[in-house]
Amino acid sequence: MDGFKNFLNESLQRKLSVTLSLAILGVALVAGIFSFLSAFNEAYELQDDVLRQVAALMDRQHLAPDVLAGRGSREGNEESRVIVQRLGDARQAPLGVDDGGRLPLPKSLPNGLQTLRAAGETFRVLVRTTATGEQIAVAQETGFRNQIARASALRTVTPFLVLVPILLIIIPDLVRKMFRRVALLAREIDDRTEHGLHPLEENHIPAEVRPFVAAINRLLARVARSMDAQRRFVADAAHELRTPLTALSLQAELVSEAEMSDAARERLGVLRTGIERGRHLLNQLLTFARTQSVVETPKSPVSVQAVYRRVLEDLLPLAAAKRIDIGVEGQQDASVWVSEMDLTTVIRNLVDNAIRYTPDGGRVDLAVSTIGDTIVLTVKDTGPGIPEAEYDRVFDPFYRSLGGDRVGSGLGLSIVKAISDRIGAEVRLAPSIADAQSGLCVSVLIPMRRVLPGMEGAGSDSVHCQQAPGTRS
Amino acid sequence: MRVLIVEDDPMIGEAVQVALKNASYAADWVKDGPTALDAVNSQNYDLILLDLGLPGKDGLDVLTRIRAKGNSVSLLIITARDGLDDRVRGLDGGADDYVLKPFEIAELLARMRAVLRRKSGKALPVLSNGMVSLDPATRQATMNHGSPVQLSNREFALFQALMVRPGAILSRSELEDRVYGWGEEVESNAVEFLIHSLRRKLSGDVIRNVRGAGWMVSKTS
Repeated sequence: MDGFKNFLNESLQRKLSVTLSLAILGVALVAGIFSFLSAFNEAYELQDDVLRQVAALMDRQHLAPDVLAGRGSREGNEESRVIVQRLGDARQAPLGVDDGGRLPLPKSLPNGLQTLRAAGETFRVLVRTTATGEQIAVAQETGFRNQIARASALRTVTPFLVLVPILLIIIPDLVRKMFRRVALLAREIDDRTEHGLHPLEENHIPAEVRPFVAAINRLLARVARSMDAQRRFVADAAHELRTPLTALSLQAELVSEAEMSDAARERLGVLRTGIERGRHLLNQLLTFARTQSVVETPKSPVSVQAVYRRVLEDLLPLAAAKRIDIGVEGQQDASVWVSEMDLTTVIRNLVDNAIRYTPDGGRVDLAVSTIGDTIVLTVKDTGPGIPEAEYDRVFDPFYRSLGGDRVGSGLGLSIVKAISDRIGAEVRLAPSIADAQSGLCVSVLIPMRRVLPGMEGAGSDSVHCQQAPGTRS
Repeated sequence: MRVLIVEDDPMIGEAVQVALKNASYAADWVKDGPTALDAVNSQNYDLILLDLGLPGKDGLDVLTRIRAKGNSVSLLIITARDGLDDRVRGLDGGADDYVLKPFEIAELLARMRAVLRRKSGKALPVLSNGMVSLDPATRQATMNHGSPVQLSNREFALFQALMVRPGAILSRSELEDRVYGWGEEVESNAVEFLIHSLRRKLSGDVIRNVRGAGWMVSKTS
């Protein structure tokens, strides 16, 4: 019982369907019983009237009951027969009652209607004193009367019996339809990304649900405000940190121009590297904060090769310092509908990571290809790669692979992921040298037309990450 | 050359002042907007370095006031905000260029030189990246400590495209666009051929190839 209660309480829709059905059943039952009884009584009275009319007819026409007895009654059902006889006539009938004989009635009865048992059956008897002073009885079998009355009562109940089941089928369906708007609303909220904090449409919502929707909207607004404040704080904090960091790096630059011992100069070099790290981290923090705020809609497609060239221009000095052979494979170009700043940020972070993690004299390759409806951008390096078990976690901010002694902000892949999610692209990781399980190949799969995030790109992992040419020297 | 530094942060202000003095500029340093306006009114400056995040009076406000008086002094904005809006408002407000924090002295000095050069009205026709220079008037290229080398029309067109922005990578098709006019048929390997001959005439490492991406002249500052 408790289980059923829970089953009902869990769903308003179910509860409504069941209670409505029960209420209709109850009302139908009462109405059915009532109309059955009233139809039954009416049929009964109608037959009593027949008895009265027969008696009155007999009286008025001065007919002797004997005239009627045994004549014509053979036709039709013997049970429907109306028996008319004189009371106190003790002559025993030659025939049984069923064959048209007389009823064994008492010699005297009070005038009026009564129900009597005679000859093993129940009869409805009307006794009347005629003008001639003798008593006549008009009788009919009750069994038959009941049958007639029941049949006519059942006819009045039939529509109920047919319509109630139909109603019971219709009600859950109607209730479900009524609740469809609520279901649609739920689906709309479900389909949102974490950035979809705009308020829900309140106009076409039923009045009962509207307070909830309004409350949810207020909550959404509060969440948006707090997220915004948090983002602004990160951005502001990074901005504020820029000033002291600038002061620091300027002072270090001035110091380097002064006379000093070799040991001091070496320490100063380390110090300036540290300042450079702080600067890099700050810029990455700012980029990360920015990826989570404004969504820029591109006005025109961007050439991937042009973005590759721009990123290479910026990062060539970094690669040259480590004697890394960096370049673009293949001549193919592709245009993507992504804002130039977003695409540049993604590629810059991937190439920056590749250069950072690739040992001196290694190789970094950029490529772009089109597979079906997907544009695939790949950045391959000959570094140590990432263990497959960590693929999911490396996108978390500040996550670092164990045993890594490299210097990075810990935000590069988080930025790549955040932008990819926003532009509906997918990021895949694979080893660039499959046999050795080393090196990293990052693929960014961008749908050719802008589609909603969550749409799956085509192709399999191995397609984009062929073995890097063995150029490790 | 007299430079006014408007910067509220003592460490940055001091460092920039020392650096400018080392670079033989006369540098005055003020820490807020009103003092900066006083200084501009009483002294003739060749260039102003203006920090946007000033206490009391906003840097942009100072900028508008200076320009409102018809003062066309060269002005560089220093800002920690890399939002596009701030930069655009600064440039619209009459700044000649901007430097983003954190910056290095070398970058600041280079930008100052560029602004002063532009202001002097002499558009410097000779292109240079510190290693090689190119004179569009004579179509001669000169290596450091070398003698001028005459370039052919196409060699010049290609080299000029690269020298306009040292450090920028130009793809084969971008270079072909610069070398060949509309309707001219592009010969295959023309770019490689021109670069080969430029390297022979000047030096092997004057033009760098970036594998798969294109060519560039290095940016030496």
